[in-house]
Amino acid sequence: MTKTRAQILSIAGASALALTISVQGQTPPTFHKFVGVGDSLIIGEESLCVVERFQQRSWVTIVASLLGQSDFQQPFIQEQTATSPLTGYPCLGATFDGTSISVGIVSQAGANQNSSLGRPYDNLGFNGSPHIRDFFDLKVTVPGRSDLDNHAAPILRNFAGGPFEGMSAIDQANSLGPDLLGFWGGNNDALDALGAGVAIEGVTLTPVPVFTENYNEAMADVSVAGRTVVAFNIPGINDLPFATTIPPIVVDPVTRQPVIVDGHVVPLLGPGDDAFPCNPAPPCGLPAGSVVTLAASPLLSQGIGIPAALGGTGLPLPHGTFTPPATLTPGVVLYPDDIAAIDDHIAGYNAAIAAATSANGVVLVDAHALFEQVTANGFRMGGLTLTTAFLTGGIFSYDGVHPSAIGYGILADEFVKAVNAAKGTSIPRPNFSPILFTPNVPSVPAPAVHDGGLWGYSLESWREWLGSIALPGGIQIQMPEESRNRGRATRVLTRSVGD
Amino acid sequence: MTQPHRATLPRVVLAAAAAAIFLISAPAYPSGFQVMSQGAKATGMGLAFSGIADDPSAIFYNPAGMGWQKHFSVYGDLQFLTRTSTEFNGANPYPGNGVVEHIQDQWFVLPDLYAVVPLTQELNFGLGIFAPYGLGVRWDNPETWSGRFISQNAVIKSIDLNPTFSYQLFPSLAIAAGADVRFSKVQLEQIQGAVNPFTGAFENVAKVKLNTDMIDNTGWGWNVGLMFKPFDALSIGAAYRSKINVKYDGTAEFIQRLTGNPAFDAAVAAQLPTGTPPVQTEIDFPASINIGAGIHLGSGWTIGLEADWTEWSRFASLDIVFPTLVGHDVHRPTLWSDSWAYRVGIEKTFGEWAIRAGYYYDNTPQPTFDTGPILPDNDRNVYSLGVGYGTERFGLDVGALLIKFKDRTVPPPLQTDQFFGTYSETALVLVGGLRMAF
Repeated sequence: MTKTRAQILSIAGASALALTISVQGQTPPTFHKFVGVGDSLIIGEESLCVVERFQQRSWVTIVASLLGQSDFQQPFIQEQTATSPLTGYPCLGATFDGTSISVGIVSQAGANQNSSLGRPYDNLGFNGSPHIRDFFDLKVTVPGRSDLDNHAAPILRNFAGGPFEGMSAIDQANSLGPDLLGFWGGNNDALDALGAGVAIEGVTLTPVPVFTENYNEAMADVSVAGRTVVAFNIPGINDLPFATTIPPIVVDPVTRQPVIVDGHVVPLLGPGDDAFPCNPAPPCGLPAGSVVTLAASPLLSQGIGIPAALGGTGLPLPHGTFTPPATLTPGVVLYPDDIAAIDDHIAGYNAAIAAATSANGVVLVDAHALFEQVTANGFRMGGLTLTTAFLTGGIFSYDGVHPSAIGYGILADEFVKAVNAAKGTSIPRPNFSPILFTPNVPSVPAPAVHDGGLWGYSLESWREWLGSIALPGGIQIQMPEESRNRGRATRVLTRSVGD
Repeated sequence: MTQPHRATLPRVVLAAAAAAIFLISAPAYPSGFQVMSQGAKATGMGLAFSGIADDPSAIFYNPAGMGWQKHFSVYGDLQFLTRTSTEFNGANPYPGNGVVEHIQDQWFVLPDLYAVVPLTQELNFGLGIFAPYGLGVRWDNPETWSGRFISQNAVIKSIDLNPTFSYQLFPSLAIAAGADVRFSKVQLEQIQGAVNPFTGAFENVAKVKLNTDMIDNTGWGWNVGLMFKPFDALSIGAAYRSKINVKYDGTAEFIQRLTGNPAFDAAVAAQLPTGTPPVQTEIDFPASINIGAGIHLGSGWTIGLEADWTEWSRFASLDIVFPTLVGHDVHRPTLWSDSWAYRVGIEKTFGEWAIRAGYYYDNTPQPTFDTGPILPDNDRNVYSLGVGYGTERFGLDVGALLIKFKDRTVPPPLQTDQFFGTYSETALVLVGGLRMAF
């Protein structure tokens, strides 16, 4: 252990020396204009929504502050009290029903409070699950056409008759002439498969060649002489609480310890898939290596997925299925072949990102390695240890996918360290004291929503998660039978993102 | 030649033990958590005393110096130690620029006692009771200070019983050897933080107190010394103290801090260990070598020179084990380095009076990555003054050390706890000693 530590220090020292040498002779750039382009991780989405409370805590906002960019303009979305029915996209938070901590809707998004800005925003991130192509290809949004359009329209303002009609996010960013541009896109090209509970090439996963072509085009578009571009790659799903919180085995709902029968753990029940069929018939136990998403939480509370012998219904947790030509029924379990497909695609995407960033002189932030490291060892700051655990780890927000304010602080720090290392600049690192200790709660009254399920995650949360998925044109999301039986989430989610 | 006196040893031991009861922790002023300021005369001469060692505190510095002490004599000290100024200025990323913190103002009082008992013309027995290691770092505003999740209060207490024999082989050469029994205890207090799931922010959820007692945690080692006086104007001394390993058994206490959110507080309460679960740790106290010389220039002038080496590389990690708890064990690599200190002192006597001065430079053994709230150590320049009055049978000495620590900046990224900033500290040690010979 001692030698290992010494070796680490030695390597770190050598790296620092090498770095110093590599940037010697170059005048570090001074940044005057910073712009962010990308998906929900650029705009600062937390807990399934984008509101000013979260936008002010995004890593992009923190970096702009560290750069002293006083005129950093963003489309701040007002946070409102949640209504019934909702009038805006819901924001999740922790609730307490007297016995357990759950996740439910605590507020909703309102209107853009900075809609009259006469120029494009400096933060051009948007949610709605944009894929990599959408950053250069979504030149005209059509509000009402899809959730992607609904989310993108207020930020890009490129709808028909809008001030920036015909300009994609990258077009608008280029028009601002930034000398520092942060880019993060491509996450949803893989994450749709996680949310839908099934990996299907071309439906919930973007083929790697398509991703590569699109990413190359995005990098070519943002890379301009004299500009420092910084891009993040794609984290693995094994580092997201949405995929890691619920084990694929039966646990005691009180102790959260595995139920042991005849000396063995008991797998939760699934329907099987082509690679892992149930023999002779469904349901059957999930094989090792399966992932049960947080969306299974309310179903497990109903006994779904739990063998009848252990007090459950004996019904399987749903696995996502696709019925040609255009119907996707999402699920809450992914089989090992799904996981392997997602992992392979993310590896392919990250290889494409590494090649494209290298070819274009773009600084790469290895978010994949960062989250792997944090999952394995935690993140230490001031004697505190943060983890990727759901609700208690501190790094992820209530949707189990997007970072929390603390998580965004870590990303801001990684961005600064990457730029300073690559360019020899001295951008100050963020101050974590306010990031760690400032409560992140809505300032509006919270409704009493207590539908979190066994693991604190609500069916409503999943439904909204799915609602943000931008599937290829024409594909409908049909909610699974189990949910309809419960009388919730019965709507058919139609996504027809036209190209 | 003066005949050696015979004393009733048990009474001396009892008196020494009674004094030792009052031992408390000390701030770590010499390097690491070593406390070298033993003996008022030595203190006045900048601790450059291993080559002089002409009073009973020789038992600590170089027991071979007892070889020329031909009376039964007792030497008692009281040390008063305090930090005159401390300041920590935080830096990003944590605790952040503009954060200013202080170590609590405390006075530490450390008694020590030495007795030299001539047994024959050549053979002397000595007993020293002293505290060669100690640590006391208690931070102001412990419930809110920015490093509370690392340490609120860190304490090491130690008492050594050091019986030693010296033998004068020749009029110019003496050797010594002894055993060293160390009683020690450690305390560590910190706050546990956790994410409040309702706010997403960290809050204080418990205070953790680790504590061991003094009596049951002991270790032992040995020491040897040699002094050579080739001629009247020169004495050369060297002393070695072995490492001492102390294994500590103690208890932990987890005291909940309520956040005001009943649901969160209930969840925390359900997870906190109850009772006083056992805790174990150990410290490898380092070996040391002191090499010194005393140069008697005539006309009452004496110069002391010394170089001290301490094997701090033994302190490679701090490991805390909770045998009955899962997930609470602590392994902190410390990776300290062996250190050197260089000392010079001067004394001028005027009949029965003496004035003294000294200086030493002490290198810290602590690497930057380990420098933090538990112990923020650094290189230091130390200036000393002293005055004494002495006859063959009686001596009264006063010595003082002004310890000026260099500012220690701990920059990102490699600090163990990710706690960054600059530590500034100045400390004062006052020592009063009384010597009686019979």
